[in-house]
Amino acid sequence: MVAQEIIRRLSGIVGKDNVRASEEDRRVYSYDGTSTWMHMPDLVVFPTETAHVEAVLKVANEAKIPVTPRGGGTNVSGGSVPIRGGIALVMTKMNRILGIDPGNLSATVQAGVVLMDLQKALAAKNLFFPPDPQSFLGATMGGIISENAGGPVCLKYGVTKQYILGIKAVLPTGRTIQFGGITLKNVVGYDLVSLLTGSEGTLAVITEAVLRLMPMPPARKTIIALFDDLPRSGETVSAILDAGTVPAKIELLDNWVVRNINRITGMGLPEEAAAMLMFECDGAEEMVAHDSEKVIGVCRAMGATGVIIAKDAQQAQAYWKARSAGFAAVFSAAPTVLAEDVTVPRTRMAEFIRRVTDICKRADLEVTVIGHAGDGNLHPSVMTDQRDPAHFERAKRAIDEIIEAAIEFGGVLSGEHGIGLEKQKFMRRTQDPTFIEIMKQIKRIFDPNGILNPGKIWED
Amino acid sequence: MTESLRNTRKFASDVEQCMKCGFCSYFCPVYREEKDEKGLARGKNQLIRFLLKGEQALTAGFYQAIDNCLLCKTCVQYCPAKTRIDHAIVAARGDFAAEKGLPFSKSIVFRHILPRRGLFGLALRIASWFQFLLPRGEGRFRHLPQFLTALGAGRAVPEVAPRFLRQMLPERNAPRGRPLYRVGFFSGCATEYMFPEVGRMIVDVLTALDCEVVFDRRQGCCGAPVFLSGDLETGKKMAMRNIAAFDGCDYIVTGCATCSSGLSEYPVYLADTGEEKGRLETFSAKVRDFNEFVIDVLQADAGRFELRPEFRGKTVTWHDPCHLLRHQQVAAQPRKILNALDGLRFVEMPDADRCCGLGGSFSITHYDVSKRIADHKVAGFVVSGADAVVTACPGCMIQLRDALSRHGKAAEVLHIGELFRIRDDGSPRGDETRA
Ligand SMILES: Cc1cc2nc3c(=O)[nH]c(=O)nc-3n(C[C@H](O)[C@H](O)[C@H](O)COP(=O)(O)OP(=O)(O)OC[C@H]3O[C@@H](n4cnc5c(N)ncnc54)[C@H](O)[C@@H]3O)c2cc1C
Repeated sequence: MVAQEIIRRLSGIVGKDNVRASEEDRRVYSYDGTSTWMHMPDLVVFPTETAHVEAVLKVANEAKIPVTPRGGGTNVSGGSVPIRGGIALVMTKMNRILGIDPGNLSATVQAGVVLMDLQKALAAKNLFFPPDPQSFLGATMGGIISENAGGPVCLKYGVTKQYILGIKAVLPTGRTIQFGGITLKNVVGYDLVSLLTGSEGTLAVITEAVLRLMPMPPARKTIIALFDDLPRSGETVSAILDAGTVPAKIELLDNWVVRNINRITGMGLPEEAAAMLMFECDGAEEMVAHDSEKVIGVCRAMGATGVIIAKDAQQAQAYWKARSAGFAAVFSAAPTVLAEDVTVPRTRMAEFIRRVTDICKRADLEVTVIGHAGDGNLHPSVMTDQRDPAHFERAKRAIDEIIEAAIEFGGVLSGEHGIGLEKQKFMRRTQDPTFIEIMKQIKRIFDPNGILNPGKIWED
Repeated sequence: MTESLRNTRKFASDVEQCMKCGFCSYFCPVYREEKDEKGLARGKNQLIRFLLKGEQALTAGFYQAIDNCLLCKTCVQYCPAKTRIDHAIVAARGDFAAEKGLPFSKSIVFRHILPRRGLFGLALRIASWFQFLLPRGEGRFRHLPQFLTALGAGRAVPEVAPRFLRQMLPERNAPRGRPLYRVGFFSGCATEYMFPEVGRMIVDVLTALDCEVVFDRRQGCCGAPVFLSGDLETGKKMAMRNIAAFDGCDYIVTGCATCSSGLSEYPVYLADTGEEKGRLETFSAKVRDFNEFVIDVLQADAGRFELRPEFRGKTVTWHDPCHLLRHQQVAAQPRKILNALDGLRFVEMPDADRCCGLGGSFSITHYDVSKRIADHKVAGFVVSGADAVVTACPGCMIQLRDALSRHGKAAEVLHIGELFRIRDDGSPRGDETRA
């Protein structure tokens, strides 16, 4: 429990209404998007300006109270679960877009701005922020930066770290510091902007960021290709890239996901194929025409059993909406779903998918593969039920094997969701101990008392 | 834990649907203002889950959380997992009311005033004599069913009509031609006491379209403000009384979106036995919103819709009441009517489907947030460039008038039923003696 004296001091900083200690208030900040991790904070604090964050961290650092930053609470690795109690520092009220600068293709935002709100404001100026985590309706810029999030268009445009020019953050000791700036080029010293990007709220609390933007592409086309063999669709991805075309998005949906998307959306995607690839080509009109022709050609050559081209923007939007229902389709299909986030080199995707299918068949488990195939980031998801210990054990073992396979194929443990709590048990097994040691030392420099989001990324 | 949670348990599997993706945060009007998970569907869902697990009690803090909801159903509309958190919230309010009791002001109005039409009318009449005591002018209105609570909170209220609908409209209203249907007209409190002219005009449209319209005096408040707040017991009494009043009607039609959705939701919340559920369902299946009834059931020829002369040359926009759009999926029908009216220009406003922020008693207990939500509506209205906003819910009308006047906008807020009448199609008239 946090002492009354601390509550009084914090109330003096952010206002009484922005410090909450009731059971209900603590309960609703005990979880994030993961299904199993939960822990209540002792206090919930809402800063509304950088100076608040500074003052709150000073108090917490002095009293050695854990502080867990939280944005939209949509991450799926346990990152914003206050596993050691203490303060849940909720950034959602710092949600102002401070400026959009079309001449510099940049925008300055507070950390609590929700991605969709930003995109709406940018669209009015014919601009967009490329990284597109499919949680854009709930994820905040602070959370997106802290998880180095990515989504479908990252194939062509890259992930969040390529779009952060500058960061204003408060160190756990309560000192505000600015990294980077507004220029595209900047080699002044170590790249601490990149260090903070993906740091999962363990190094500093981000309060503002300068984002790099792109002009909205004038044309877009959505193409769907059907395959009667799942690994074959995986091979097609590298064949397309090899042919010299980089579509904005290549998403992979297996038959199971397609059927379940239809079940919950009534969308009516074709169900006869074993797998479906969804492409979006974007850019200038001629470029889109050229790329789509290439994509269709390669798909046909690779044995696609059918190709569908969205007839207009509205239909295209409906297809992508169906794709984004994939998460719901997966998570609503079983009492417990173990969803992985492994990423493998694209040339080995087919092999990897085959291995995943084998592992699950042997263990008699229902599995589905959905993912950002364009960048090799797959979410093999195993259906299980935590209440059935034997089944759950079997599922967990299969997940272990899937992760080992990904690493064997030269892939990584997590492509976009981060380590948080969910993946930490794999860290020691899959990473060089020196890498973990360097991270711990960096953490100590930023956070000598270890108060900021303790208990995350590596096991103590 | 001693609580039986009889009502909430009915929706236990709905609560399990949520997978915590947080998408509701983009759509919830309350969350968008407060930015606090406790006001969000996902947060309430978690609290209710823990309630069912026995790890959360029916505390004041719990009630505060589940009370902080407009029941606009925007989250339900967009939830990828189709979580019916609206049902669980109402049921949890029901269990709270049954086991802990509702706040005093609510329970007085719900248990003693609203169920009795006569008493309600009298209370309003008396209150109207004291209207001069209240801040006046600028058309500051409040939702009527919360009238007395509103008074308690020291709030500005709408003026009560000089004559109530039941003093203007006969019990039997003959169809123009051969009767197609026997329609029970459900006025609703706000139409009865505040907008009686709207009620009369709606009935004129229905009779002109060959419906025999019965305005049974035994009807009372639809009960929605009562049972949606958790007083399921009183709500059920009100429901039974209304069911009796409309016995023998083919359809029950109302111009109040809140009432039609409330009447339709009787079977969801108020049935305790299978037999009761059946009775409530039979009744609810006959309930129609006015727009839906005219367009879908009567399939009226749009060429017969005639704009009333006072609106000629006006530009109007449409506000989708939550209770129409999301509770009853009625959105195309009113637009069909508006587009058919010669001499009227209809334009869409941005975010026409966004909740106005009234939410029944929400607007009284959470006036500050309610106002902020309404401000977005005003902004959309300004962009539309319309002279008037048209809707089909007296509750929304009150909220929109309040919001527009706060922003110093002279715009009118109209009920769609006021805009038009039915042109005579020259067919033979019905038996004169019946009139
Ligand atoms: C349906 C669904 C789809 C998803 N799709 C994708 C996807 O396509 N790609 C993808 O990459 N991810 C995806 N995610 C995961 C998640 O949305 C992202 O990780 C997102 O970036 C989290 O943002 P948030 O605001 O919700 O942060 P939170 O979940 O609140 O926090 C995430 C982490 O960031 C830290 N943090 C938050 N704000 C700050 C701050 N201001 N300063 C410092 N640290 C902070 C927290 O401590 C935590 O460690 C998806 C999630 C869901 C539920």
